Amino acid sequence: MEKKKLELIFIVSIFSGTIILLFFMYPIISTLFWTKPGIIWETLGDREVIKTISLSIGAATLATIVSFVLGVPFAYFLARNDFKGKNLVESIINIPIVIPHPVAGICLLTVISPRRWTGQMLESMGIEVMGTVTAVVIAMTFVSMPFLINAAKEAFQWVSPRMENVSRTLGASHIQTFFLVTFSLAWRDILSGMIMTWARAISEFGAVIILAYHPMIAPTLIYERFTAYGMMYAIPVTVILIIICLIVFILLRLLAANRSRGEEI
Amino acid sequence: MIKIRNMSVKLGNFSLKEIDLNIKMGEFFVLLGPTGSGKTVLLESIAGLKPVINGQIVINGRNLTGKKPEERNISICYQDLALFPHMRVKDNIKYGLRFKKDANNKTYKNNYKTIVELLRIEHILERYPVFLSGGEKQRVALARALIVPPDVLLLDEPLSALDSGIKEKIEDELANLHKTLGITVIMVTHDFREAYHLASQVGIIRDGSIIQTGPIEDVFNKPNSVFVAEFVGMKNLVKMGELNNKSSIKIPDKNSIHDYIGIRPENIILGNTQLSADYYSSAGISNIKNNGVFIRVDIEFNGIKLVSYVTKNRYSELKLHKGKEIYFGFNSNEVCIIPN
Repeated sequence: MEKKKLELIFIVSIFSGTIILLFFMYPIISTLFWTKPGIIWETLGDREVIKTISLSIGAATLATIVSFVLGVPFAYFLARNDFKGKNLVESIINIPIVIPHPVAGICLLTVISPRRWTGQMLESMGIEVMGTVTAVVIAMTFVSMPFLINAAKEAFQWVSPRMENVSRTLGASHIQTFFLVTFSLAWRDILSGMIMTWARAISEFGAVIILAYHPMIAPTLIYERFTAYGMMYAIPVTVILIIICLIVFILLRLLAANRSRGEEI
Repeated sequence: MIKIRNMSVKLGNFSLKEIDLNIKMGEFFVLLGPTGSGKTVLLESIAGLKPVINGQIVINGRNLTGKKPEERNISICYQDLALFPHMRVKDNIKYGLRFKKDANNKTYKNNYKTIVELLRIEHILERYPVFLSGGEKQRVALARALIVPPDVLLLDEPLSALDSGIKEKIEDELANLHKTLGITVIMVTHDFREAYHLASQVGIIRDGSIIQTGPIEDVFNKPNSVFVAEFVGMKNLVKMGELNNKSSIKIPDKNSIHDYIGIRPENIILGNTQLSADYYSSAGISNIKNNGVFIRVDIEFNGIKLVSYVTKNRYSELKLHKGKEIYFGFNSNEVCIIPN
């Protein structure tokens, strides 16, 4: 029997893959084992920790909902239409991904600052933004929405427009077709996009700290404890945040990946 | 009656130009044309899926111009079938009934039963499309399109993705469905053999314009242009002047010497002795090619090249080989004059 030879490219791929996985996983595992479970348990009793983590989760969820409501219809439009300047529009959508996040925070600040007409208008309407939960959500939405739009656009592009055409000719209206055919086929990929959006939003620090140091979100608390008291005080909060993020991430990924065999084409 | 009047559609650089078509209800109309000629755009425009910038579409006296696809009662079946992968076969088929107010009506239930039986898909109703063969998918797509039931069924190259064995079966089933249900079908294809088998009327489309319509036999035997002649498999196209000047064959010519004569290859008879045909001569065999079903014999006389198709039996009988001198002939009623 001929002995199967290992190709060089295969060996290189495995080697680089191992390095990447270690590079990603080792720091996280190292953090998880840095402190004792008793200290983590004790930290869970710290009201400030619970408050900041709850705010992080709540604001990230709100940012994801806003991104979904605004982003999905626009993603569908982009997936189904070609027009002059489409490349420019798609580039604009991705700007928040490419600019440094403190820069994004400064940019948002110039808009909501009371010195600007937008800020003055919000103030006259009695809407306070600076240093509020609204500012946290705005900052999180700004940096994370591109992930949802891109994922939803790709998901819609995957659904053949011909399926929509068939649905229309069989008597379904455009909106019925969208929900019965297009969204029904695209929702898992959109959900994956929502997970990425949520993950990006909950990990946001640079833009949020510019707009709202208080109310404090978990990354700000970690930053504050690290700079004021050192690593020993920052790590328990870090571990709790990692665990919560991983649980949510794994659960949602399982839901998104649980594609029935019939849906695969 | 389907009446399409001066219909124009513009899509980027491509446009359908002033399409005029009359199709009787119950007819099997085939639209033939090469890739990129606008066949699918024309079907989608009839279905209301592409905006018409000019003209009218009237079906049974109902003006459908500007109406939404869901208001037209016209079904479309694409080459890639576009089955809904997240629905079982039965749900795919019944999809159109969701939007009928009287979906529980006995007529629809009977219609569902009849179509499922006619297409012999009872055994796959619980499956998802991914688990179907090409032929089964085709049958499901047809059933889904027919369940409504539509005034017109549009078929966009429905056979082109199938293997030749299945293709013939589905072709027969399409013919049978048309006969049994009496439905009006407009099918587009680039394969003239499919058209010959299925169509009662055909239209030829090129660069967004309909260039010939008529009964299938007329279009196949009397093409009105060199393009149509070539497209429907009329291999022998010789300039009138060339034939009359270079050879002993003199075809009465009321037309220009620049016009072409066209003869279908199956109408050129070969023989070892002089033939009793209206026009005949002798020629040398320049090439022989076995096409599996028939044998293509290329002959040449006085610099004029012709193609003849013969059966395997006839080929053996005549002991044909490259370089052999042979008699050939054709009858006047099989000659077509094609204006240049």
